[in-house]
Order: sequence, then structure tokens, then C-alpha cells
Amino acid sequence: MVAAAAALAWRRAAPRVATLRAARPDDPGRTGATAERAGRELTHVIGQRKLFQRFVPGLMHAAIFWGFVVLLPTIAEAAIAIVDPDGHLPLIGETTVFAWIVDVFGFAVLAGVTAAVVIRKVQRPDRFRGSHLGEADRILLMITAIVVSLLLWQATRIALGLTDAEGPVSGWLAGFADGLGAAALERAERALVWIHLLLVLGFLVYLPGSKHLHIVTAAPNVWLAKTWPGGRLEPLRIDLEGPEEDLRFGAAVATDLTRKQTLDLFSCTECGRCQDVCPAWATGKPLSPKLLIMGLRDHVVAASPAGVVELQPLVPNAVTDEVVWDCVTCGACVQECPVDIEHVDTIIDLRRHLVMAESRFPTEAGALLRGVEGAGENPWNQPASARMDWAAGLEVRVLAAGDRAPEVLFWVGCAGAFDERAREATRSTVRLLQAAGIDVAVLGQRESCTGDPARRMGHEFLFQTLAERNVSTLNEAGVTTIVASCAHCFNTLANEYPDYGGTYEVVHHSELLARLVREGRLHPSRESVAVTYHDACYLGRHNDKYDAPREVLGAVTGSLEEMPRNRERSFCCGAGGAKFWMEEGGDTRINDTRFAEAAATGADVVATACPFCLVMLDDASNAAGEGPEVVDVATLLARSALPTADGKR
Amino acid sequence: MGRVWIWADVSAEDVATSALELLTKARALSDDVGAVALGPGAVASATALGDHGATLVYASDDERLIEPTSRVAAHTLAALVASHAPEVVLFPSSYRARDVAGRLQAITGSTLMANAVDLSSIDRARAEILGGTTIVEVALEGASPHIVMMRPRSFEPSPVGGTAEVVEVDVVAPHGLAAVRVLERTDAAASGPSLEGAKVVLAGGRGLGGPDGFGLLEDLAAAIGGTAIGASRAAVDAGWVPYAMQIGQTGSTVKPEVYLSAGVSGALQHAVGMKGSRRIVAITKDAEAPILRLADLGVVGDLFQVLPALTEEVRRRTGR
Repeated sequence: MVAAAAALAWRRAAPRVATLRAARPDDPGRTGATAERAGRELTHVIGQRKLFQRFVPGLMHAAIFWGFVVLLPTIAEAAIAIVDPDGHLPLIGETTVFAWIVDVFGFAVLAGVTAAVVIRKVQRPDRFRGSHLGEADRILLMITAIVVSLLLWQATRIALGLTDAEGPVSGWLAGFADGLGAAALERAERALVWIHLLLVLGFLVYLPGSKHLHIVTAAPNVWLAKTWPGGRLEPLRIDLEGPEEDLRFGAAVATDLTRKQTLDLFSCTECGRCQDVCPAWATGKPLSPKLLIMGLRDHVVAASPAGVVELQPLVPNAVTDEVVWDCVTCGACVQECPVDIEHVDTIIDLRRHLVMAESRFPTEAGALLRGVEGAGENPWNQPASARMDWAAGLEVRVLAAGDRAPEVLFWVGCAGAFDERAREATRSTVRLLQAAGIDVAVLGQRESCTGDPARRMGHEFLFQTLAERNVSTLNEAGVTTIVASCAHCFNTLANEYPDYGGTYEVVHHSELLARLVREGRLHPSRESVAVTYHDACYLGRHNDKYDAPREVLGAVTGSLEEMPRNRERSFCCGAGGAKFWMEEGGDTRINDTRFAEAAATGADVVATACPFCLVMLDDASNAAGEGPEVVDVATLLARSALPTADGKR
Repeated sequence: MGRVWIWADVSAEDVATSALELLTKARALSDDVGAVALGPGAVASATALGDHGATLVYASDDERLIEPTSRVAAHTLAALVASHAPEVVLFPSSYRARDVAGRLQAITGSTLMANAVDLSSIDRARAEILGGTTIVEVALEGASPHIVMMRPRSFEPSPVGGTAEVVEVDVVAPHGLAAVRVLERTDAAASGPSLEGAKVVLAGGRGLGGPDGFGLLEDLAAAIGGTAIGASRAAVDAGWVPYAMQIGQTGSTVKPEVYLSAGVSGALQHAVGMKGSRRIVAITKDAEAPILRLADLGVVGDLFQVLPALTEEVRRRTGR
């Protein structure tokens, strides 16, 4: 019988296994770092860490999960008892400790299921919109039946004297069983053990085709997850010399997805936590990370290698173009996902194919690519000769070829160089570094776009061209330390340029400024201004840098108010993923939503640490016509720590 | 002094101005100037081409020459080139010319120089690089003919009053042409005055305060005439006017003779779409607004007073 169930289960699992085998191999970077991966199994799987990001649902799930793990030996116990009613698991089977553990965890599972039912039926959070609710109900019902039959079976065994080990629940239930006659009790015991084992085997057969498969796939999926900052995308290895049929520009069809990306699809439980935190979904756009994964999963399952002859394109069959282009790559979904699904990287792979193979993207984004490709090498197609206009009136060393390398190279970034509002932060940063006695220089016209917006848009080829050139400029200049005031430049320089031969010590301006204040090289005075800080996704969530900007702010104000969504749960400004250069659909704008959240803190100032956040939130501020001023942390520090020599304060 | 040919874009109605521009340069380079005109209208174009300095016009009105892949035209031209051996063939930068030039280069294995702005001799072309900041002189080497595609309006057309001899051309149609068929032609529907083609553009921003504010711009537009109205992204995002009116990075790029803005701050997003305008006038109440740095004439004041007064004055002068 066990063999028959296993065979049935395998039949249901085989297409999944075949799909995983046919998937593109993972990048070599997905192996190694064994200690870190093992540690993550302990925290994320055993410790349920990411589930506990939401306490009550986390506790609910942990009760069921831990119960499931602890109760596993009872399956063997039942199997033994089927053959020999007197039989027990060796060593632990007849101990009171084990009986207690079974009862306590069985009870915990039932409590967990009850909580799940209350959440699903009474509370009905919006994150379940679009999930398969009926399937979840069936699974909860099966879990209940399995645990109840287990406890009742244990009770009959106690009543029959088949075991001396009594737990609190089974012992209590056994009291009721005593009323039955011995013969009836024996029949009940036999019936219950069979029912219990059949339910378990039924569950095993049901599992592979269901969303509950995560109990098998979650652990390997967590194992394969990134061991590097979330902001680093895996390089697309473009081999123009290889055979043409092997040439892949991202993910076009089901088999272009990597093994990890495919396992992601089989790990999703449709819990909707990602949907709950997605800025696109929150502002009425079609993208929900959950529905994206479900759409891809259903498509990949239908296209399983056994069945379909010709593979259909993923876009628009599995997910629509609009969904692919709504993503701001903020990583909130990845941060939230209990099983470490990497939604953003998959979306970028879909974009890569659309942009490089089909030249298919929102029309207005063409100007961005033309600008970055063009002579000025910046998203706004400004002339390179205007790159130093921000420095008018300041004395800034521009590093010419052959010059002595500076202690710190300031990577200005295109926004910091060309955007009027961002320039103020650029000027503040330079003035602060100079006031602290740092030997700082910039590349001037030799600087170009890092390639971040091109890469996030999917134009990997353009990104790689820019990366290689910038790396060669930086290496030739002998640069060792770089400071960047743009979160996107910072991420690309720190995490992505090492893949192209550029390894530097890269710090964000907030980190350097915090250090200079700490070391007493800058002397801000605290003022009574209420400030709230907006975490930039590419500084915070993608690089775990939350404290430095807050440290700077702590030096200029005694009143730092946090927004409800802060640090790793922060809400994007709407600019990431090259969305800054695209139009935004949906009901509301992401920047307006975030600005309203900032304004609700009652702060006088919203501090930012990235020029794109600055411009997005300032636009929202202008649209609102009231509310806090939007200012970069460097500008706030400069106002407080520098003399007002240039008349700007 | 070698033989110089130019490619003439022709249609049933007329010959493109670009052909007449190219003839000006061709005459300066050589006395032996020919023009190649392929497709309906070609023979009739010989008059204008001769008037502008072509001594010979190779022409055919055959319909097959305008099939969509330009293969027939390219092969026909290649046959002409093989028998007459011009040293240079000048092309304009139209889509059709690019198709033909690219194919001609592939067939002849010669040299193609694109995006040139001038020729100093038959083997030296000039081009602007790095966003127009640097001019380079490029030596044309390799097999003849040198194929050079010129940017539009690089030369002025100038009639010399000559007459060209028309040479009828035999059409060369390569195999496999049936691969592409034209099923239908549709012209993109244009609604309202086109922002990108307008001589005068009025742009409104958040400073207009709401959809009604655009009424002030409409009044002014009516007084001036032939004027298109655009908007900054802020006004579009606020829902005051449709996205089609947006000027800037993610909207239209305009280069009118006169651009006048009211209540536009001139954020980079907007500026990249209008800074190529010939004359820029900005009305804003913010003396620090970035647009004032781009403007030839900046008016710092209340647009609700300035605009009606301006409209009044324009009406007085134009009588509209």
C-alpha cells in the first residue's frame, strides 16, 4: 500500500522533476558558501524567521510546521502498528515523554489550524486576493483530520492497554473511550490506525501537484538563495562566439528559466505577503509578485517537457508586458517571502529578453537608452561638457589621466551632476568632505552612467559595455576608495563592478559623513527640526545600510520620527528599476503614496539618501502643495555643520 | 576629378529636396554629375534634377522598384554602378535611402560612411561626433564606389538652369522577392495640431493651478494661430491634461521657433524635451526656477496677470 501511494505520488511529482531537470543550470555562484547556506536553513526554515516578520500568522505557521516535524515519527509508529497492534517505535515509542510531545505538538497543530481558519475566514486579509482559497481549505482540513485521527488512535491504544505512555490530551480522551466495550474499542483502534495512515498517504499523493509542495521545495529553495547583497544581479553571460541556438538573452520561454527560478515557482504557497508589500500592487497596477509567480508556475507546468512540442513565449502568455514593466525592483517582495523566492531577478530576466531580443519596452523608455548610449552617456542625453556644471563656484579637483589618485574618489552620478535638485546634495557632499579635510576628487567628463538603469531595464549588453569602460577608467586612475551619493550608483559600484574586474572600497556618502561626524571632523549643531527618514531601497533593503543615514540625522536633530514602514520594510519612492524614466499607470502614484506616509509623521523634513528618492518625493511634495520639505541627508548636515559662505543655507 | 552620382528620392508627385541639396555638393566635387531616380515619378524628376546640375539622370518609373525591402532598387543601382563606375554615390538619410545604401554596400563590398555633414574631396568626408562637439575628417578607402550618406540640410539647393539627359534603366529583380508582400498601408492618424511639428509651442505646468488654467494658454494660442499646446509632467500627472500633451523625457520632444511656458519649473524631466527650442520664453513666479536659466526671456510674475495681458497685446497686433 505504501508502495502504491509512493508510486502515485511519484507520478504526480515526475513532471515537476522533469521540468526542474530541463531548466537552465544555475550560475556557479549558487553553490559554495555551505556554512552560510546551512545557517540559513536553521534560521529561515527551522527558525521560521521570515514568517515571524508577521507575528500572529508566523506563530500560526510555526505551530503547524514544528508540529509536522515533531510528529513525523508517528507515521512510522502507525505503520508498525498496522502490522502488529502491540508494536512500537524502538526506544521512544513507549516513553511518556514522547507521548507528551506528540500530544502537545498535536494540540499546537490544531491551534495553528484554528488560527489559520480565523485568519482566512474571519480576518480575510487582502493578500489572499487571487490565491487558490479552496485548495488551502482542503489542505487545512486534511491536516486537521490527520492530527485528530492520530490523537483518537492514541486514546484507544491507552484505553486498550496497548501502551502505558499517556499524554495529557490522549489520556483525557481515553477516559471517554473506557465506556465502550473491549470489542468495540479494538475495532475502533484498528479503524483509526488505518484511517490515520490512509490520510497520511493520501496527503502524500495530493502533495506534488499542489501549492503545498513547499514542504518539500522550501528547504532547497532557501539553500539556493543568494548569498550576496540583493542588489547584485547575476551577470548574463553573453557568448557571441558560441552556437546560435545556445544564445540566450534572458528568459523567453519556460526552459530559459534557471533551476532556482523554476524551484521558486514550485515553492510558492500563494500566501500573498509579497503582494501585500508591493508598491505597484498597492497603487492599483496589475503587477502582484504573487500573481506573477503563479502565472509563471501555471505556464511552466502546462509546458512541462513531457507534453508540449512548441514552447510559447512567457510574455504575454504567462504574464503580460504591463506586469513586467510595473516593477520598481525595490525587493520588498523578496524581503517578505518566507521561502526566499527571488521575484526581481526573474522579472529582470524577462525584461532582458524583451529588450535585447525583441526591442519591446514602453516607448518613453527609449529616450533613457538613447541617452545612456549617446555621447553624453547619461539618461537625460545631456552633453558631457555639462557634467561639471554643478561645481560652479566650488574648487573641486577633477582627476585627469595620469593624475595622482585621491584618498577618496567621489562618484557624482548622472542625477547628481545634471538634476537641479540633486546637485544641491552633490555640492553639500563635496563641501562637507573638503571641510573635514578629505582629499577628494571627481572624474568629471570621464565619468559616465554606471549602467544601472540600463541593466534594470534589461539591456544587459549596454550595461556591460558601460561597466567595462568605467572599470577601466577607475583602474587606470588607481582608485581604491569611492564614495557615492546615489544609492543606485553605490549598489552597482560595490556589488556589480567586481564581476567586471573593478573591486574598490565603496562607501555611501551617508556612511562616510557619519564617520566624519563620529570622528569629530565635522561639527554639526542639533536643531529643533522634526525629521523623518526615507530608506532608499538600493541602500537599505538591497545593501542592509540603515544606520548610517540615521546616525547623520541624529547629529543634526533631536527629533527623528520613523514612518510606519521603515528600514527593511520601507516603501519605495517609485524610481527604481528604470521606472524613473517611464510613465506610471495604475490608480495612484507610488511617490504620492510614500510622501503622504512621510507627511503623516508630522515631520518638517523628509530626509533622503539617494537623488532619485529626492526628486520623486519632491515631485510628490510639489503635487501635494503642502507638507514637509524633501532634503538629502548631506544637505541637512551641511546646513548644520558648515558656515553659510556660499549664501545657501 | 571622378564621376559623382547622387541618389534621388522620388515619388509620383515630386522629387525630394534632399536630392537637390546633394546636387549642390556633387557639382562642387566634379563636372561629371549623374543622378539615379528609381520608382514612379523618376522620369518626370529629371527636369528638376537637370535644373540643379545633373547632366545625366538614370531613371525608371517601374512599380517594382518601390517594393518594401528596396532589394530591386539596390540591385538595379548595383548593375548601373558596375557598368558606369562612379567614384562616389551620395545618399540622403531617408529610410529608403538607408535601405538602398546598405544593400549597395553589401553587394559591391565598398565603403559606406553614414551621417556625414560634408565632403572636402571625393575621398574625404566630415562628420560630427560626441554630440556635435567635435568634427572629424574621415578618409574613405577601399573599393569604389564610396557610399556617403549625408545628414539632411547639409547643403543649400541652388538651381543652375541646366537640362539632363534621361537614360532609361533596365530593372534588375533578384530572386525570392515574394517573401515580403505589402498587405495594407495605414497612415498614423494625427489628432489636433502636432506638438512636434508646431512653430510655436505653449507649455503649461503646475503653476496653472488646474485644468482651467490651460484655458489661458488656449486663448493665447488662438490669438497667435498655428500653435500647439503642451504640458509638463506635473500637469499631466495631476490629471489636468492628457498624456499626449506631455513634453519631456517621457513625452514629446519639441524644437519650435518659439517655446513659451507658464507655470513650468523646468525640472530636468521637462527641460530635455524643450531645450532645443530656438527662442524660449518662461513665465513663472519662482525667481529660482531652473527654466529661467534656459530662457532667452524670463518673466517673473503672476501668470494669471501676465498671460491675459500678453494675449490682449497679441490680439491687438494680429487682429485675431
